[in-house]
Amino acid sequence: MNLLDFARGPALDVAIAVFLFGVAWRLLSLWLLPHAVDRSVPRSDAPSGFSARVAGFMRHMTVPKDFKLGTRFAVINGYVFHIGLAIVVFGFAQHILFIKGITGLSWPGLPTGVINLVGVITLASLLAALVRRINSPVLRLLSGFNDYFTWFITMLPVLSGLLAVSHLGARYELLLSVHLLSVAAMLIWFPFGKLMHAFLVFLTRGQTGAFYSRRGVKL
Amino acid sequence: MHSESHAQQRTGMAQSVLHEIALALAQLAETGAPNAIDLRSLPMTEADRSELQEALGRGEVSATLDMAGKSDIWETRHAGVWWVRHSGSGDRIASETIEIAAIPDILMAHRDDIRAAAARLSAELAAAAPEPV
Amino acid sequence: MSEPMTIGELLTARGISRRSLLKYTAYLASTLALPPMASRAMAEALASTRRQSVIWLSFQECTGCIESLTRTMTPTLEDLIFDMISLDYQEALQAASGEAAEEALAKAIEDNKGKFVLVVDGSVSTRDGGVYSTAAGKTNLEVLKEVSAHAAAVLSVGTCAAFGGIPMAQPNPTGAVPVSDIVTHIPVVNIPGCPPIPEVMAGTVAYFVTFGKLPELDHLNRPKMYFGDSIHDRCYRRPFYDKGLFAKSFDDEGARNGWCLYEVGCKGPVTYNACATLKWNAGVSFPIQSGHGCLGCSEPNFWDQGGFYKPLSSWAMGNRALIGGAAAVGVAVGALSAAMARQQRNAAVATATPAKEKQP
Repeated sequence: MNLLDFARGPALDVAIAVFLFGVAWRLLSLWLLPHAVDRSVPRSDAPSGFSARVAGFMRHMTVPKDFKLGTRFAVINGYVFHIGLAIVVFGFAQHILFIKGITGLSWPGLPTGVINLVGVITLASLLAALVRRINSPVLRLLSGFNDYFTWFITMLPVLSGLLAVSHLGARYELLLSVHLLSVAAMLIWFPFGKLMHAFLVFLTRGQTGAFYSRRGVKL
Repeated sequence: MHSESHAQQRTGMAQSVLHEIALALAQLAETGAPNAIDLRSLPMTEADRSELQEALGRGEVSATLDMAGKSDIWETRHAGVWWVRHSGSGDRIASETIEIAAIPDILMAHRDDIRAAAARLSAELAAAAPEPV
Repeated sequence: MSEPMTIGELLTARGISRRSLLKYTAYLASTLALPPMASRAMAEALASTRRQSVIWLSFQECTGCIESLTRTMTPTLEDLIFDMISLDYQEALQAASGEAAEEALAKAIEDNKGKFVLVVDGSVSTRDGGVYSTAAGKTNLEVLKEVSAHAAAVLSVGTCAAFGGIPMAQPNPTGAVPVSDIVTHIPVVNIPGCPPIPEVMAGTVAYFVTFGKLPELDHLNRPKMYFGDSIHDRCYRRPFYDKGLFAKSFDDEGARNGWCLYEVGCKGPVTYNACATLKWNAGVSFPIQSGHGCLGCSEPNFWDQGGFYKPLSSWAMGNRALIGGAAAVGVAVGALSAAMARQQRNAAVATATPAKEKQP
């Protein structure tokens, strides 16, 4: 079995298995954790629990103008690479084929030239995020292995994907194998590192929104 | 068939080949050194090939060879530039070259063939000669 | 049998002129990607050498390779390869059979010891001593070892001989292995393909006969002059791949427009062969031009790579048991860890309550 067969086969099998195991474990264990019932009296005009959660999430989508330019840039840059990743992952024909192989669903893809451009912008945006993290004294103080490794494991599929689609640097089968293996690595790391925010962000922001909304504060 | 439509596009290869022919022809004129360009090895479309053929035109000499399939050779309108097209089975083009030479090698009788033919001819004549009286 | 006459003398005896030989080498030089001026030197070299003795052994094969090499019934330009070699043993083509054939093989080896080229098509069965493929009571494994002991070089023709081929596909009941697994003391050149392109087979033999040495080989021992580029690198549909225009299924609009066949499983990007340039049936077409994706037939294990119609970017295995099991275990572990947390909380509450009750 050569590297490409391994990357397309057992590597992805194990990665998806670990991903599902990890996500199921973390989400279920968090959901079933015992929690104290909130015994405070809710404000009379407090919205219901669910709408407060949604409102809390929505409020975190934007940055208040009070924050400095650096902070606002960081959030906007975050949008750039998140949206860029989504466009590349869900808009590239070869990725749609991958998803179709698993779910049977497919949709029209974007022209390859567009994907290439968005991919390069996404990579640049990821690099900018790293630069900010290193340069900001607060962020540098707070950042640890989890943050840097998560950045690296997210950047690697983007870089290796761009190299593969451009047929740059090595034989195509090696480029494709590296890309598939990097995606497998990302899936394995996903439930155990900062990438889990993909699921948890909805819960944490919603919880903040609901908790404070009950007390009459829009947070 | 739509997929063949790109074969009708000119890519400019014909012009590149013409420049190469010009260089080789100048060298032939100066030093007498022959040269050849293999058309099958170049990424030329059908349209490119037609363009090249039109540009080179036909000269005074053309020859048809009949061995292991057909071969067509003609001098283009430029003296010393020959188009050599070898066909294999079923008139499929097996190789196509532009030869820049006084005459393509393949038109000349080979010395081994001449030697064999000389031996054969004298043997035939000796066998047919009437008995000396 | 060793030939005292040179190729030139043999051709003359057959009434084939030097001019025909020059036409043949012009054709070969083109397929070998040699400069056209080399054809004169090639013709001279061939005319003055003796024919190369070749012994052809066929093992676990479908005879497709010899069929590919001998496609025409009338002597043609392409058939001149057979004038370059002395095919001293080949079961499908020779007149002798049975005991006479065995004698012919023994004599061919004896007459050309150390100098003949052994051409093999078909994989070698090794399970249970190789009894699953025998001829005249001898296993292919035995015969290969015996004959290759006296050969100068081996050409493994076809993917079966080069990489194990279809017989080696899961579960490989006969224990099929490539020839290179058995022969290790002399150079083994792989000419894979299912079957290989005839010009590739003939060209490699002609190269060896003309230059007296083996051509430059890649990491899988394939001649770089034919297997250096991938199909994808030379495919005329590449512009469509680069633009992202794909046929979604056979005979749909994209397919009729000649778009890239990536989505219907084309393995062109990872397959190295000369199909896109030399093409098949004397340059008529090749699978992609005919609307079907490349199968990857000149690569090892092409038959066990997750399906001919599964695109390269798809997940090839999908072990449902593993995936389902992992999710189930995750759920179980999640519930368990939550249960443990609850138990800890209850224990903490139980020990803390008495203190709380004392508060006024």
